[in-house]
Amino acid sequence: MDILELQKISFSYGEDGFIADLSLSVCGGRLTGIIGANGSGKSTILKLASGILKPRAGTVKLWGRDIQLYRGKDRAKLVSYLPQMLDISVPFRVKELISMGLYPYDIMPELSPEEAVAMVGLEDKLYSPIGELSGGERRRVFIAMTLLQGAGILLLDEPLANLDIKYQMEFIRLLKELRDRKDISVVMAMHDISLASQFDHLYVIRQGKVMASGSPDEIITPALLKDAFDVDVKVYRQDNNTFFIGY
Amino acid sequence: MSEARNITLLIAACIVIVAGCVFIGPTFINPLHADDISLQIVTAIRLPRVVVALLMGAALGASGAVLQGILRNPLADPYILGISSGAALFAAVGLLGGSTIFSRLTVPALAFTGAVFTGAVVGAMGYRRGGIWPERLLLAGVGLGFLFYALIMLLLSLSTDEGLRRAILWIFGDLSMADWAMIPYGLFFILSGLVLSLWRAKGLNALMLGDEIAHSLGFSPRKERLILFVAVSLMTASSVSLGGIVGFVGLLMPHIIRFIVGADSRVLIPLAALSGGTLLCVADTIGRTAVAPMELPSGIVTALIGAPYFLYLLRKQDILGEQ
Repeated sequence: MDILELQKISFSYGEDGFIADLSLSVCGGRLTGIIGANGSGKSTILKLASGILKPRAGTVKLWGRDIQLYRGKDRAKLVSYLPQMLDISVPFRVKELISMGLYPYDIMPELSPEEAVAMVGLEDKLYSPIGELSGGERRRVFIAMTLLQGAGILLLDEPLANLDIKYQMEFIRLLKELRDRKDISVVMAMHDISLASQFDHLYVIRQGKVMASGSPDEIITPALLKDAFDVDVKVYRQDNNTFFIGY
Repeated sequence: MSEARNITLLIAACIVIVAGCVFIGPTFINPLHADDISLQIVTAIRLPRVVVALLMGAALGASGAVLQGILRNPLADPYILGISSGAALFAAVGLLGGSTIFSRLTVPALAFTGAVFTGAVVGAMGYRRGGIWPERLLLAGVGLGFLFYALIMLLLSLSTDEGLRRAILWIFGDLSMADWAMIPYGLFFILSGLVLSLWRAKGLNALMLGDEIAHSLGFSPRKERLILFVAVSLMTASSVSLGGIVGFVGLLMPHIIRFIVGADSRVLIPLAALSGGTLLCVADTIGRTAVAPMELPSGIVTALIGAPYFLYLLRKQDILGEQ
């Protein structure tokens, strides 16, 4: 079922229409990728989907109900959002930061900060100041926070930017584990499409519009990538994996 | 755990130090063998002064911790929003007009009115589309502060009234006029600000991760910022009207306390308040003792004690969280 739907959304930062009449839906228990070139509107779509931005027209529905009608705390239990820049102005320790995921709750939920940090593989960093962690580790700390937050939908804006390929792979593995073990749906915006084949479903965005959507096999084709990114690529498939090389 | 131990040690040290400040002064008073005159010195002079120093320091420490969070700026201090200049200007203008309606409380009452007025104007200028915007707030505060400061200097240059000059000098830091009459007002507003800040401490923590994450955690960043701004304005206004402008405490105490107990506002705010109050007590005790019968302004002493310690911490450890 569609747990998050953007229905005929229009939005603009200034006078000109940036996103016009956009519709997009997210199925439960899937990794959904939103791909598109820089400035295509991916981040704006995620901010609209999380309720941070209000659309000029159209509705964002979370579990069938207008997201703007939820109380902040109730919304936070269903959907969480992590921006591209994780800019922290004070030196929180890992445990302090992760525990903020409990703020929407008045009673302690089942998961503890210790368990959440273990799920992202950082149990030995629980008391470290966040400033001592690498970019990839910080990202995982925030994922642990959202695990504690308990939201079934995770909206991630460019989480792989500035990460080495090794950490990118680890991160995708973590997201798949969350999908399989905790039935968490992930919607991730990315401009680097090298890992797009790892997703269950892809949306291609160009100039604020959905250009195409479908499985990676349907999307990662020379013609579509040429249209979306203006690059020439060759696509190879082997053992259920899709590879492509730009030239 | 070491954090709980640190907190306990910090609280215990503050209590002992504050108690000591009551008995230490130009003449040391032994609490076990105090005669009537000594008791009178304690109750009429030293105790109100220690209480005022505690209240002022507490307000500054807590305000600094809150402001650095809502403005997302480690350099923010309670005076950055122009509140202190507003307090000084109102007191000066009122006195120039011959206002003595509250007798001894005239200067503090005028200062408080000016501080609250300035806070409201800065808040209104920083307010847009349903909330407080940190950059607008900061720029409005700095701009208004400069304007008020220039007007004060203008008044000072033109004034020949000795009382007015003294009043303005008082605004720039002097606890020697502390007496019991002003304490209930200060206590009420500072406690209100502290309670408001602690009530919204989770929101403050979330704001420090950025507005978008705060929203994702279920908070309305603009609403949280507005409530916390009101709390800071109340505390800063009360502090300035109790004993003028004292530097350092609001800017650097929150950083020192974060280093000792972590950055969680629910712990940081009360401890920044307690240690800020204690530091000001110590500074005032040194100020009235070191060169007695003359007095050193507390702001100078807080900076002389605190700044080297802060620089030591800065060198020894990463206390701003950068890699």
